[in-house]
Amino acid sequence: MKKGSFKKLFIGALAVAVMFSMSACGNATGTADGSASKDSSASDSGKTKLYVVNWKDYGSDDKDLIKKFEEENDCEIVNTYMQSEDDLLTKLKTSSAGEIDVCLPNCTILPAAIKADLLEPVDTSKLTNFNSLFDRFKTQKECLGDDGQMYAVPLVWGSTAVAYNTDTVKEAPTSIKCLFDEQYKGKIAFRDDYNDAVMAAALALGQDANNPSDMDAIKDLLLKQKELNKTYWQTGDEFSKLFASGQIDVGLMWSGQSATMAKDGEHIGYVVPEDGGIGWVDNFAIPKNSKNKELALKFIDYMISKDVQYKWASQGGPAPANKEAAAAIDPDYAKSAAMDEESLNRLTFMEYRDDKTKQEWNDLWTSVKAS
Amino acid sequence: MKANKKQVMTWPAMLVLLCFTLFPLLIMFTTSFRSDSTGALTMENYHKFFSNFMYIKLTGSTLLMSLLVTVISLVIAYPLAYIMAKKLKGLKNVILVLTIIPFFTNQLVRVYSWLIFLQDGGILNRLFMSFGLAENGLGILYTRAAVVIGLTHAFFPYMVVTIYMALERMDDSLIEASMSLGASKFTTFKDVIFPISMPGVMSGVTIVFVPCLGSFVEPRILGGVNGTVIGTVIEDQFFQLYGWNFGAAIAFVLFAMVLIFMGAFGALGRRWETE
Repeated sequence: MKKGSFKKLFIGALAVAVMFSMSACGNATGTADGSASKDSSASDSGKTKLYVVNWKDYGSDDKDLIKKFEEENDCEIVNTYMQSEDDLLTKLKTSSAGEIDVCLPNCTILPAAIKADLLEPVDTSKLTNFNSLFDRFKTQKECLGDDGQMYAVPLVWGSTAVAYNTDTVKEAPTSIKCLFDEQYKGKIAFRDDYNDAVMAAALALGQDANNPSDMDAIKDLLLKQKELNKTYWQTGDEFSKLFASGQIDVGLMWSGQSATMAKDGEHIGYVVPEDGGIGWVDNFAIPKNSKNKELALKFIDYMISKDVQYKWASQGGPAPANKEAAAAIDPDYAKSAAMDEESLNRLTFMEYRDDKTKQEWNDLWTSVKAS
Repeated sequence: MKANKKQVMTWPAMLVLLCFTLFPLLIMFTTSFRSDSTGALTMENYHKFFSNFMYIKLTGSTLLMSLLVTVISLVIAYPLAYIMAKKLKGLKNVILVLTIIPFFTNQLVRVYSWLIFLQDGGILNRLFMSFGLAENGLGILYTRAAVVIGLTHAFFPYMVVTIYMALERMDDSLIEASMSLGASKFTTFKDVIFPISMPGVMSGVTIVFVPCLGSFVEPRILGGVNGTVIGTVIEDQFFQLYGWNFGAAIAFVLFAMVLIFMGAFGALGRRWETE
C-alpha cells in the first residue's frame, strides 16, 4: 500500500463527517417556511397599510376574518411573521418608525418591552369591546406598566395542564399530582421543557409556580417523577403518536392540541385541575413608533369583538379572551379545550424571566434528565 | 510558474472553506467567551462547564456510548467489507448499494421507523412475545440500547465503505505469499490483511465516532427519559434558552475532544501504515 493513501482516506472521511453533521443540523432547524417574507398579495397602492407582526396562521392573516375590517376602513392588513417571542422583541427594538403598527407579545416579553419604552399605552375607553373581556384579562398583570396604564390587550389564551385517556382514566383527574402518581407508572408522558417541568412541579408542591421558593424540593419531585414516565415528549406530534397508540394514560399537554385531538376522534380528555395549570396569553400591542395608531386601535378592537373571536375559536383557534365569544362556543368543544372561566381562574400565567433564572431552571431540568 | 497556476485553481474552494467553515467557527469561538450579563469577554462559560460535575459526567457517558456504537459498527462492518472485497464477484455491487441506502433516507424518517419498530406493540415486541421470549414486551424503546441501535444503523455503512475501499485496493498476491510461506489463515489475517486495512478502519472509526458524539436527534427520540446526551444539552441551550454563549462553549469543548480523538486515531493509523 502506498504511503499517503491513508491520508487521502482520512481526509475523505473527514469531509463526509462534516457533511453529515451539517445535514443533521439541517433537519433540526429546517422550519423556516418563508415566514420572514411579507405577505402582500393584494397591492392596491391607494389603501392605507396596517403592518401587523404576528404568528403565522394566527387570525390576522385569515382573509375571512379580516375582510370586514379591511372593507370598512378601506385599508390593507400586511402581515409579517415572528419566529419567537425574542425575535419579536428584537424586531421592536430595531424597527424604524411606521414599520410595525400592531404586534403580539406574550407575558414573557411584555414587561421587558414596556420597560424599554417600546409600546404605546392603550386607551381602553376607546375599545368598544374591552368590557366583554374576561375580568381577569382586564387587569392582566403583565399588560400593566408601573404607571398603571395598560400597554397591551389580551387576545387569546390557552393552557398546559393534564390530558388523560378517557377509556382508562374514568374520572377526570382533580390534581396535577396525577402526573407524579405511582398509580400511572409507565403510562405518563411529561413534557421535555424546563419551564413547564419546573412550573408543574411547583404547582404540585403548592409553591408559587412563577417564583418557586424551594428549588431542591422541585428537583427531588422531578427526579422521582422521572421513573414514572413512559417518555418525555417535545413536539406535539410525538405526543399524538404516543397517545394514539395507547401507550399513555395521563400527560402534561397543551389545551389547543388536546381539543384538536378530541375533535379528530381520540378519546382524550383535558382538564385544568383544581390545584392549577400553566397559562399563557397573547396580547395585541401598539409600538410607540407606529404611524397609524388610531387604525391600530380600531383593529385591536375589531379582533377582540365577539364575532371575530367566536369565529376564530370555533374553527379551531385558541381560546378567546372575549367572555361572550367563549360563552357562545359549543360547550362540548369548549370543555375539551378548557376554555371556561373556572379553568381560566385556576391558571398561573407564565411570567417574564431573566436570563439568569432561565439558566437556573434549565440547569435543574438538565440535571434531572441527565441523572 | 506551473505550480502557481495550479494553486489558483484551489482558490475558490479555499474561499468557500474560509467563508463558511473557518469564519463561522471563529464567530462561535468568540461567542463562547461572551458573558451572558455584560457581553464582555470572559471565561465564565467554560468555568461553568468544568465546575459542574453533571456536564463532565454527561460528556463521559456520551463518549462511552459513541465508543460502543463505533465498536459494534466495526464488528458488523469488517466481515461484511472483507467478504465483499475478497470473496464476492458480481454480488458485491448489490450489497454495496443495499449498504448505502440508509444514507439516502431522511434522518427523521429513519429514527421514526425505529421508534415504530421498537415500541410496545411494535413488530419486534410482537415477534418476541409470540415466541414466548418476553412476557410484557421488551421495553427496549426509550432506553440507551435503543439509542445505540439507532445510531449504529445510521453510521455503520460508512464503516463498511471505508474498510471495503482499503481491502479492495490491497494486492491479493500478498495473501498468497503469506500462505505459501507457511503462515496460518489467522496469522495471515493478523499480520498481513488487518494491518493493511488499518487506514480504512481508522477512517471508518472516525466517521462513526465523531458524529455520534454530537448526535441529538436519535438520543432524544429513541432514548426518551434516558436520552440525555451532551448533544441534547447543546440543543436545549440554543433552541430553548437562546443561551448561545454557554451552548457555544460546550460545543467547543466537544470540538476539542473531537480533534484530540482524531489526532489519536490518525496517529494509530499511521503507525500501522509505516510498520
